[in-house]
Amino acid sequence: MSAFFKSRSTQLTILVISFLLVFIPYFINIPGLDWFSTKLMTIAAVTNAFTIGIAVYSQYKRSGRFIMERRKGWIYHIYLVLLMIFMIFNGIVFGQHTGGYDWLLKAVVTPLSSVIYGILAFYMASAGARAFRARSPQAALLLIAGLIVLLYQAPLTGSVFPGIEPAATYLTNTFGMSVARMFSISVCIGAIVLGVRMLTGKEVAFLGFGEE
Amino acid sequence: MSEEGFDLFKWMATYDKRWIYVFLFIVVIGPLIRPLGMPISVSGLTKDYYDNINSLTEGDIVFDSWNMEFSGYMELKPGVLATHKIFIEKGVKLCIAFGHFEGVALPPVVFKELKSYMDQYDYKEFEDYIIIGYVIPNEAAVAALAQDFHGVVRVDWKGQPIAGTFLDEIEDAGDFALINDYTTGLATTFQIRHMVLTYGTPMAVNSIGVSVPGHLANLDAGLITSLLSSTRGGAELEYLIGQPGPGLKSMDAFTFGHYMLIVFIIIGNIGHYGWSRRAAHRDRTGIQ
Repeated sequence: MSAFFKSRSTQLTILVISFLLVFIPYFINIPGLDWFSTKLMTIAAVTNAFTIGIAVYSQYKRSGRFIMERRKGWIYHIYLVLLMIFMIFNGIVFGQHTGGYDWLLKAVVTPLSSVIYGILAFYMASAGARAFRARSPQAALLLIAGLIVLLYQAPLTGSVFPGIEPAATYLTNTFGMSVARMFSISVCIGAIVLGVRMLTGKEVAFLGFGEE
Repeated sequence: MSEEGFDLFKWMATYDKRWIYVFLFIVVIGPLIRPLGMPISVSGLTKDYYDNINSLTEGDIVFDSWNMEFSGYMELKPGVLATHKIFIEKGVKLCIAFGHFEGVALPPVVFKELKSYMDQYDYKEFEDYIIIGYVIPNEAAVAALAQDFHGVVRVDWKGQPIAGTFLDEIEDAGDFALINDYTTGLATTFQIRHMVLTYGTPMAVNSIGVSVPGHLANLDAGLITSLLSSTRGGAELEYLIGQPGPGLKSMDAFTFGHYMLIVFIIIGNIGHYGWSRRAAHRDRTGIQ
């Protein structure tokens, strides 16, 4: 029986049927199918939640290897594992809203999260200041456009020189937006191609099989 | 001392990045501690967002998507607080969902800031807002929630049943008057796909700065109805509702930080130009 479920053709068949069950109701209104599609998505959402358990297991295994083999940074893995045990224990025993889980989240995770985000401002400022160099005519154009948008982003500039807004808006609504659209379209086309390859059995690594 | 001596252009072109860190810290810390109150302009984007939120009426139910971690909240805080002040004042009902596990830590922080406002308008949990918790971690969850709300959510984030509350009126995503998304992450895309495109529910987005160009394309395509951009947008919204808060207080630091960055860019380019010209001259003539 397990060989049947492990076989590539069985898994691909389940994949194609699941895809059709969710895909068709978007275009054709079939009440029974619609209900089944919704339930299938709920099942997928719940199954996704269980993947956190797999992630925790994988992290324990990985950290265990680091600690046993005394690899570089093994001491941090001990810290990581201890914190994971602490969080899981408190979360399961006392819940999310009281006890150690709540304390650790509010007193440690959230301040550290803010600090890391704040530090990014320094790195971004440094990278921006040193990357914007007019090394070529194209780079000079980028520099001019960047300076206009930066000037507009400074809140005072717009109130002192109202003319900066149309210039900056023009740059973001034309060049900036075209790049954003190109990026979105590329991602969508990539996703469609990947989907078709998965459905036709040309991409099977995600099922645990090697490439053809 | 180097053999060639001090070269100002070379120093300007290759300055140590730690100078930027030091100057950024200096120009930002002063105005943050003691804001100067410099004027700001209000962009068309923020005016549209304000009109969008302001068009809601008492009793409208909004899907309030706190799709941010704590670090992102630091950037979105002015917009989050100002938007919720409008919701509270207008008596809009909120269904609050998290898109990140750190979201669990946010309600006490946000509602502490809004407490006096909530008391003033008698705005209460379960009557006016319900927190349904970390229920939109991935696309499948968003899709399921959009299609069958009560099939996915039966209790609030503390385990209390939501039956018998204003959420009884919600069957699917089409029953929400608006989706208001405070975002640093992916759930925005999921909500556009499964709530906006499928049910036609309007969606307003309050986004961190780096994601704004992507959301501008969504706005232009009509996928979202309005966009509030980062701390700056939050400050502008505070100005529009006449409630100064953390956004307006931080705008002087924003201005100085941006101007400092521009100064460093100009210094770097003058140095690069002078240094490369001198190097070309040395190569051409052999004179040091």
